[in-house]
Amino acid sequence: MASSKDRKVAEMKFINRLRKFPFFAWLWFLLGALYFVLPLLATFEFSLSWDPAVPFKAYQRAFEDVRFWRSFIASNVFAIITIIACIILVVPTAYWIRLRLPQARRIVEFITLMPFVVPAIILVFGLIRVYSTPFTIPFTDIVFMKPLTQFKAGTNILIVAGYMVLAMPYMYRSVDTGMRTVDILTLTEAAQSLGASWFVIITRVILPNIRSALLSGALLTFAIVVGEVILASFLGVNAFGPYLFLLGQHRAYEPAALSFVSFLLTWIAMGMIQLVTGGQNQTAGGH
Amino acid sequence: MSYLSLANITKQFGDTVVVDNFNLEIGKGEFVSFLGPSGCGKTTTLRMVAGFETPTSGKILLDGADITDKAPNQRNVGMIFQSYALFPNMTVAQNIGFGLKVRKEADSVTKQRVSEMISLINLEAHANKYPYQLSGGQQQRVSLARALAIRPQVLLLDEPLSALDAKIRVSLRSEIRSIQKTLGITAIFVTHDQEEALSISDRIVVMNAGEMEQVGTPFEIYNFPKTRFVANFVGSLNTADAEVVDPAKGLVSVDGVQFTSAEGTKQRNKGDKIKVAIRPERFSFATQQHKDNVVEATIENITFLGSVVRIQIKIGNTSFNMDTFNNPFLELPKIGSKQQVTCSKEAVLVLDE
Repeated sequence: MASSKDRKVAEMKFINRLRKFPFFAWLWFLLGALYFVLPLLATFEFSLSWDPAVPFKAYQRAFEDVRFWRSFIASNVFAIITIIACIILVVPTAYWIRLRLPQARRIVEFITLMPFVVPAIILVFGLIRVYSTPFTIPFTDIVFMKPLTQFKAGTNILIVAGYMVLAMPYMYRSVDTGMRTVDILTLTEAAQSLGASWFVIITRVILPNIRSALLSGALLTFAIVVGEVILASFLGVNAFGPYLFLLGQHRAYEPAALSFVSFLLTWIAMGMIQLVTGGQNQTAGGH
Repeated sequence: MSYLSLANITKQFGDTVVVDNFNLEIGKGEFVSFLGPSGCGKTTTLRMVAGFETPTSGKILLDGADITDKAPNQRNVGMIFQSYALFPNMTVAQNIGFGLKVRKEADSVTKQRVSEMISLINLEAHANKYPYQLSGGQQQRVSLARALAIRPQVLLLDEPLSALDAKIRVSLRSEIRSIQKTLGITAIFVTHDQEEALSISDRIVVMNAGEMEQVGTPFEIYNFPKTRFVANFVGSLNTADAEVVDPAKGLVSVDGVQFTSAEGTKQRNKGDKIKVAIRPERFSFATQQHKDNVVEATIENITFLGSVVRIQIKIGNTSFNMDTFNNPFLELPKIGSKQQVTCSKEAVLVLDE
């Protein structure tokens, strides 16, 4: 009698636990994880299969290539410049819109959608077309500057500008979200009444409080710039994207190795962001 | 001699007049409250003093200087917000020192002032904590210290207690008042809570729909409300329609029951329809000694409110509230019974509108 009751209780407990276990949530999570992880594992596995005796041969070869380092460093420098320029452009813009021009938000949000609507190929042809004519003083034929497309620094300027367009939606959206989580308006007024100038407010109050948003925007920008192919190849810049693309056409194992390394780098960067921002997500207003 | 003067201040947003011809002289060291319902223009007026809004017309003078068009960071004004507005990325000490740092004060001065301020608000143990590690009350005290650290000419408080719970609200309220008195700083306090305004202020400005209804000491505002709005908004109040019976004697009639008002109704004529007001605590049960305004009332309902007991009575066809202090030996009448109640002649207020 007692034992059957016990068994019933145990059964009930088991059923309850089953009920509490979010079976379908986990199922979808696992399926999603497989979708992302399997190709990566396959790539990794393939990159090791060049020479069974020397499993990391593909990596050795890839890293030995001086063109790899040159293009990789170039892309990193572009990424950093793009991030800094984007922050200088986007932070004050998003701040001002939140503060004084809330009615402009919809327009700016529409503009930030443009890079998704207009493909990069159109962007690059537009850039090339506009900037392959020399700069003249308005209303005269006096040339004061060569076309940007005709010298190296010029193309570098063009490519960073293009990257900024591509990265702007990500940067703007993460900065804007970051500003929503802190009460920008009141913090600004508090700082103003304490005597702070606009520069002080932005650098000492706003920027530190949207640090995690800035980092995620920066990371996305970094990922976009380092993996970008179209702008770089059409502008003839030796960036990492075109190099990887070219390598993929001629070699089998090195591209697999390099794409796996790229993923690893991205993950390390994400992990670092988690570490840096993890403990600082609290905002004002706690009781 | 007034220290802060607001002269003919009007503020319009588009076509809506938010503040209409506001005039106020505030003396040095005075604590003035702006009291009114939300949307009455009290916060807008405060923000004009802070410099976050510019008046459409009118002038603001602070210690003789015209500050009407000065930027907020050019004014020497301390501001406290409902949401504390502490900088989340800075510790308590850094928050308090921010204004001094911005003013490029010497490090030694800043350090000394910060520790002075921290001991003023009794948060010595929390100097190196971040705002999110503090309770709401502590955060608001930090915000008070931060505003005071720059030695502002005026301290502006925008509903500083509204986000706190009841007990903290009361204790912080008296703390703010005592710090203000110690430092002798001029303060403007915006609130919609009449109890807060009554307890903390030297003077109260009652505002409604952008206009000043009445300016006076808490005592005047509570006991001698000039308009129906003030009477209703400050404290609880019974208002009733009445008819003038004898202007010379101050005799009025509420549903046929006669009351005498000490204020008199001399400017009115017999038969005029007016409004009278009586505070609930001015009613009491009549004894043999009472002569004036002894009327019969039916007990409708009794509500126990802790320190007071609120009794709903009906005189004629009009319901009134009557408050009596609670004590353990209080004998309350039965609901439905008829009782003689009374109020003094002075308790019957005749309202302007």
